[in-house]
Amino acid sequence: MLDHLTIHEPKSVMEASSLLTEFGSDAAIYAGGTELLVVMKERLIHFPHLINIKTIPGLDSISLDGDSISIGALATHRAIERSALVREHLPLLAELEANVANVRVRSTGTIGGNLCFAEPHSDPATLLMAWDASVVLQSSNSRREIPLSEFFTGLLETSRGQDEVLTAVRIPHPVPVGSAYERFKIHERPTATVAVTLSLSGDMVTGARIVVGSVCDRPVRIRAAEESLIGLSTVRAAEVAAAIVHDEIDPTEDNFESTDYKRHLARVLTTRAIAIATARASGGHRG
Amino acid sequence: MTSNTESSYTTIGHDVPRVDARAKATGAVIYAGDMKLPGMLYGRILRSPYAHARIKRIDTKLAKALPGVHTVLIGEDVLDINPYYGHAIKDRPLIAIDKVRFVGEPVVAVAAESPAIADEALTLIDVDYEELPLAVTLDAALADGAPRLHITELLKSGLFHGLGEMKPQPGNVCYHHAFARGDSDDLFASADIVVEGDYIFPAIFQYAMEPHTTIAQWGANMDEIHIWSSCQHPFLVRAEIADLFGLPVGSVRISVPYLGGGFGSKSYTKMEPITTALARKAKRPVRIANSVDEAMVTTRRHGMKAWMRTAARSDGTLLAREVRAWFDTGAYADNGPRVVATGADAAPGPYRWQAVKVDAWGVYTNTSPAGSYRAFGATHLQWCGESQVDEIGRQCGLDAIQMREKNLLTPGEYVRPGGKPLDADLIGDIRLVAKNLGWDTPKPANVGRGVSVGLLAAGAHPVSTAFARMEADGHVTLYVSSTEVGQGARTVFSQIVAEELGMSVDHVKVIGGDTQITPYDRSTGASRSTTLAGLAVQRAARELRAQVLEIAARVFDLPETAFDIREGQVWHEGESKSFPELIRVHFGMVGGELMGRGEVRPEKGSGSYAEGPVFWEVCIGGIEIEVDRETGKLTIRKAASVADVGRALNPRMVEAQEMGGIMQGLGNAIYEEMIYDDTGQLINSTLFDYHIPTFEDLPDAFASTIVENEDGPGPYGAKGIGEGSLAGATAAVVTALADLGITINELPVTPERVWRAMNRTTD
Amino acid sequence: MANETVATGQRTQLKMTVNGKPVDVEIESREMLLDVVRDRLGLTGAKRSCDLQVCGVCTLLVDGIPVSSCCTLAYEADGKSVETVEGLARFGDLHPIQQSFIDKGALQCGFCTSGMMLATKALLAENPHPTVDEIKHGLAGNICRCTGYWNIIEAVEESARRLATENGGGE
Repeated sequence: MLDHLTIHEPKSVMEASSLLTEFGSDAAIYAGGTELLVVMKERLIHFPHLINIKTIPGLDSISLDGDSISIGALATHRAIERSALVREHLPLLAELEANVANVRVRSTGTIGGNLCFAEPHSDPATLLMAWDASVVLQSSNSRREIPLSEFFTGLLETSRGQDEVLTAVRIPHPVPVGSAYERFKIHERPTATVAVTLSLSGDMVTGARIVVGSVCDRPVRIRAAEESLIGLSTVRAAEVAAAIVHDEIDPTEDNFESTDYKRHLARVLTTRAIAIATARASGGHRG
Repeated sequence: MTSNTESSYTTIGHDVPRVDARAKATGAVIYAGDMKLPGMLYGRILRSPYAHARIKRIDTKLAKALPGVHTVLIGEDVLDINPYYGHAIKDRPLIAIDKVRFVGEPVVAVAAESPAIADEALTLIDVDYEELPLAVTLDAALADGAPRLHITELLKSGLFHGLGEMKPQPGNVCYHHAFARGDSDDLFASADIVVEGDYIFPAIFQYAMEPHTTIAQWGANMDEIHIWSSCQHPFLVRAEIADLFGLPVGSVRISVPYLGGGFGSKSYTKMEPITTALARKAKRPVRIANSVDEAMVTTRRHGMKAWMRTAARSDGTLLAREVRAWFDTGAYADNGPRVVATGADAAPGPYRWQAVKVDAWGVYTNTSPAGSYRAFGATHLQWCGESQVDEIGRQCGLDAIQMREKNLLTPGEYVRPGGKPLDADLIGDIRLVAKNLGWDTPKPANVGRGVSVGLLAAGAHPVSTAFARMEADGHVTLYVSSTEVGQGARTVFSQIVAEELGMSVDHVKVIGGDTQITPYDRSTGASRSTTLAGLAVQRAARELRAQVLEIAARVFDLPETAFDIREGQVWHEGESKSFPELIRVHFGMVGGELMGRGEVRPEKGSGSYAEGPVFWEVCIGGIEIEVDRETGKLTIRKAASVADVGRALNPRMVEAQEMGGIMQGLGNAIYEEMIYDDTGQLINSTLFDYHIPTFEDLPDAFASTIVENEDGPGPYGAKGIGEGSLAGATAAVVTALADLGITINELPVTPERVWRAMNRTTD
Repeated sequence: MANETVATGQRTQLKMTVNGKPVDVEIESREMLLDVVRDRLGLTGAKRSCDLQVCGVCTLLVDGIPVSSCCTLAYEADGKSVETVEGLARFGDLHPIQQSFIDKGALQCGFCTSGMMLATKALLAENPHPTVDEIKHGLAGNICRCTGYWNIIEAVEESARRLATENGGGE
């Protein structure tokens, strides 16, 4: 049984932010609770004050606003999977969300909670980062938007301020047609994930994003690999980029897979993702 | 699934629906954790964080003062009795006394008004430990000068292990089992082919979905105990509890509700002693329910390392095998000795050897105790021996089926001297597995096929009893102590009674295990329930039948042979009398009952391990896998099996055991491994890091056949099932990989291990 | 407190319907839905095993959605409708899913069964005719250690057939 706690029901982001300030490290934002309640049950940490942001209206909407798609922080994995808008414009994300954890976690867990908890093995961040997504962080007296690539600062750490609430994820629209996402999973959480986007001119690469997730303490953009592809022919792209990914990443050591093997997986998944992204970019299939 | 004989019986051989299905499908079934007794307290246990340490001081003052805490139990509280138990070796204190020997060993037990208060009380307890040197691994425990976990010279034998005299062993060895015949040195020296290897098998967690749960309650005069427990062997637990607390066995009552799975994890005594001791001090009923991570430090499968070599002629004739195997039994022996013995027996495999030399040891280590798990011994060693048989085949140009046709024992031949001869047609079985696997069809690239066959000494000790009581209304109540763990024992027993008495299965009621009510059955495990308890049930039903016929003979004034029994009536040429009518005549009034008794005991000798087994369970499997050459990830395209059961009393339930066993076999082979750090801490103690096979791990296809040669000692020629498919599947995964040129000598075959093996080959 | 936000305090009132019947109990804010259902309401069909939302034996339906009740605060059920296995049978007649599980031998020890059937109900509510792959995916979060899963897949297919017949083709 958990230790005693109180659940607060703010009606606005401002209220939520004030509560976070008031209770400091005794408070945690509580949405789906799929990560939070598990670590509390494992007695790794306790928060006597849960700030239930599900009582704040409007944080779960998914909308297209001109040049970006906005996904509210409270959108569950299930809602994202099923959203007509996501299926039309971000089908890769819909497919990813359909495979997060299990059906019960998908029904309850939110994208905001997932990103803020920053579990190193979690999926969505890898793909969102490849799409240059950003997160909107609000407090009672501020609002800022930062790229996801600056949001994750370390193992289970983000740059969210103590009094800030992540309210939305914004994805530049449209995402590159040449997008791909590959995943290797044998445990409950993925061992390695790679997201790639490619822009082509003929069979020459003009733009690339390569993000490796689940292997290090947070998802990482491999800029050296991205830069190596510019101007390169698609014939050589996979081989060149995958080799750089292999050498550049610094996998976390754990008791399950060796760092050598994780590097190898990152290389294999990069190769596969680039092949698929290339095919899509050339064939015009939406990523 | 197909069977090779049509059933000529009324209920036997038919897919009778489970008698407990409706209760389970409506949530009406009560498991131990669903029970609430008046005044019941909730127990929680404070467990050692160290793998080997002396306990210097325990401070429970604050815990005792917490409102709602009723009782706190420590080692001092049980020094008025001899607190050591263990059915093979009495090496285990029911709660730590002066030392702890594994991370997770119970040190303090708290009983409180609610689980939450008990949990909170644990956080208020302070224990000082003095760490001692560790021996966490087999190598560390076997090394010269290793810290000794026990003074084995002082340990006493447990109440039952059936292994004959248990001699004290040196150092950290708890048991040694060895046998040899023929001159293996000579044969190895002169053999054309010798294959040799070192093998590692991991510790694995049985993971029954229901963790261990026990309730204990003492009578008001403190001279009687009633325990409700998720235990597979209530009579063995009863004997140990009576022994521990100095009571006559009849004063200890073990009631067994339905179990949410067993697989051996609930064999023998587990949480009953500590719960009983806590209830004794509390003088109120106490329930202790393990969490899953507590269950993982309560029992597990033995990890093992082995060395094996096999000698053969260049024409593929197997000559000799030598095996040395070390089983990591953890800090306390539990069922270690039998696991070691069964492993030793399984190591040679069912082949015609000119010489065999096997040495197997159970070794104490500073990890949680290991005990029974489905197909123990066979699962540990079959994959090693079968790999070597296939390797020899490759060296002499014979495929896996040809090697086995050439060398497998045939029915009647001796498996080991003095024991029961082989009672199964293994060559027929392996040919069927090959057929089910599509052995002769073309194989796509990156696809490997493997088969495997082995034997498991099954049946444990052949003592079982049953009472069949015909009620005044002609229905039968059956009293038999087999535990319903999910295998369907109650259904099969109902079928036997229905068959023998020509009545409907719906009119048979099975009373679950309760040592005060249902008669002695040695245990539920070792695939013995249908074969042995079922035989006792059949004998009890036949005795009832004889009584019914005897009454009919008087009523009709005809010999007993003149009658036919069906539809709950006794018939003679179109005239019939129902059971209730016959009972009424017999007693001269409405009411009254008939009672039949059935007993099974050793038919010759004492039924010891060496004289047995009761039957040889066939452990056979076939697997077709596809490997991702880049990542090492495996896809199971097909799983094939053969259930060589003598007679399938309920074919669908037989098939269900096959499928369940295969999935556990795939888990043992590919996914499951308990990982300890060098301080003896179990690292992957949750389902986040310990993978149990799910729907998504299913083989793409599954093909199974039931073989009914009526060659078992059980009712209608039956012999047991439930374990063979696990050992067979695990071994067949390894032989299928070898078929692809990927040799792995350490399980599980994780993608990384496969990847490394592939790279070794290409280097 | 300095502000006027509503908060539960350490105890709170829980008003929900369970299997169609209104329930009104005072609970602790920290209590999980599984414990309220099992210990307070005596509906012991839902079980506890891994306790970390992986295994699925604690699955309940809250407003038709499957949740891990071992990791769901009971507070979340306030104002909602909860279904447990005890609510599947209607007026003593087994639900088609229950009958299918029995007929197809899709249960052995029974410990995972209530969660498995509720997960099946949720799956079929939104996908009345799932393929085998869709069944595997939808139930991947419910672990069974006994059956080897094949019979459960057959039971789900049989349930789909029975429900389709019952509903004349759609619910």
